[in-house]
Amino acid sequence: MSRKLLINILRIFVLAAVIITLPIALRSVYWTSVLIILVINILMVSSLRTIRLLGHISLGHVGFSLIGAYGSALLVMKLGLSFWIALFLGGLMSAGVALALAYPFLRVKGAYFALLTLLTAETFRLITWHWPRLTGGFWGLLKIPSPNPITMPLIGTITFDSVNSYYYLTVVIVALSLFVLYRLERSRLGFKWRAIQDTEALAQSVGINVMWYKALNFAIACFFAGIAGALFAHYQHALSPDFSARFGVLMSIYLLVYMVVGGDAKFTGPIVGTVVLTIISEFARELKEYRPMLIGAIAILTMLLMTEGLIGLPNRVKLWYRKLLKGTRKVRGSA
Amino acid sequence: MRKPLLEIRNLSKRFGGLAAVSVLDLDVRRGEIFGLIGPNGAGKTTVLNMVGGTLYPTRGKIIFQGEDITKLPPHRRARRGIARVFQRNVLFRSLTVLENVLAGFHLRSGMGLAEIFSKRASTRSQQRVLQKEAMEILQFIRLDRQADEMAINLPHGNQRALCLAIALATQAQLFLLDEPLTGMDGEETEAMMSMIRTLRDERGITCVVVEHNMRAVIGLCDRAVVLDYGKKIAEGLPKKVVEDPTVIEAYLGVEENAV
Repeated sequence: MSRKLLINILRIFVLAAVIITLPIALRSVYWTSVLIILVINILMVSSLRTIRLLGHISLGHVGFSLIGAYGSALLVMKLGLSFWIALFLGGLMSAGVALALAYPFLRVKGAYFALLTLLTAETFRLITWHWPRLTGGFWGLLKIPSPNPITMPLIGTITFDSVNSYYYLTVVIVALSLFVLYRLERSRLGFKWRAIQDTEALAQSVGINVMWYKALNFAIACFFAGIAGALFAHYQHALSPDFSARFGVLMSIYLLVYMVVGGDAKFTGPIVGTVVLTIISEFARELKEYRPMLIGAIAILTMLLMTEGLIGLPNRVKLWYRKLLKGTRKVRGSA
Repeated sequence: MRKPLLEIRNLSKRFGGLAAVSVLDLDVRRGEIFGLIGPNGAGKTTVLNMVGGTLYPTRGKIIFQGEDITKLPPHRRARRGIARVFQRNVLFRSLTVLENVLAGFHLRSGMGLAEIFSKRASTRSQQRVLQKEAMEILQFIRLDRQADEMAINLPHGNQRALCLAIALATQAQLFLLDEPLTGMDGEETEAMMSMIRTLRDERGITCVVVEHNMRAVIGLCDRAVVLDYGKKIAEGLPKKVVEDPTVIEAYLGVEENAV
């Protein structure tokens, strides 16, 4: 057991080292900014999976991210709040809206839930488009300030206006969020979610308030979508309600594809999916408008060949390898 | 005489133009095994659904332990001591046998949000207590050896027993059993019947049983009510009830010569 623990600690150490040294090694503002968006997307997809734990697919996650983004940005710009408070409040606003919508929304399942969330996200986007006084309308919200510098004893003052420092900030906040999501899934609350997903009627019969626990799930997932949105807002310094931008339907679908390709059975699935597809998509920049096609093809292939997603790949390879060994042994035996 | 555990007064349920249950009165006494029988479509399961809270009646009242529970949602009724055992082995499919019983302890375990950052010793010891109690329940239904197996891998009869274990974990006083004996062979039926009786004798649990198997009803129930087209047509000792001419008529139809 202690050996396993040691290996795990070593793994985390190596992973942390890679994550910390990456922007220094890459020495490129472009790649670091890709990494920032990647890390933000990991939080989006992981929280999307939280909703998936109850069997629901949300196509409106960007809508709740939008609330966090505009909410946090406006709190800083109009009310002069500190970024650190606005970030949290942005998440809370998103969670609040989710909680209010949960009761009507969670009565439906499957495609209906997906459609409802999709249309809701579009509604949020169009509201920001048509409310220029507050949100800047279709010009978008500009000049969103960087996070306030923080002063810590021993280390001194840290500012967040360089790409690298913002990268570290994003990594820390997303890592913390992922930790919470991970532990939530394994807490008694997560156990109840599993029970509800298994058999709602029986869950009710043992006294679980199914509606409330579902609403809580939705609100928690949307809280982290809001946090991701706020991180995006203060990094880009600008927000646009345009269809093709961050908060359009297309992004929702990408998030879903990241989750499916990575595999939604395990916590690490969405992370792997997001990382792999983002890298592929970056290296396929030459393809220009054909890029979505490539991503689509990958998605279809994964669904056909690996129903568990990329996360199931190691197991598959092991099985193939074992079969191969057996095959060669048989050939040898017969010869 | 003591007040009945469950009182049903003037209960009616209409689905559109169809009266599934009409003006039904029932009393279930504490500690009895109460049979609810009748031909297909008589409204037995509808009555059970209304007591369990998954359906709300069109008219009438349901009183449990002297309190009106007609408008309470299912999880609130579970809190007051009503547990449902569904038809066709409804279990938590992705959980192990032990976890299924632990899920039944829901009412006594909190949300555990503090667990996100650290597990305190007190929650750990609480979990240990629950686990021990779950094992005791599994011993009671003789599934303790299969505690770590996946629930869906159990044979049919054991799955049904596990359904009882989940209900037991909720510490309910009233069990609503929807056709607990269907799909069982002779031996399994016997085992199930003796288990239901033990529940009553050792733990004082009251059972309302909906059942098709007439012989089982006679062997198991202390009292029975026969429903036909949503109305009560007979009530009394199961042995007497099944010999009632109106009941025979409801099951087999009227003899043509007699008309």
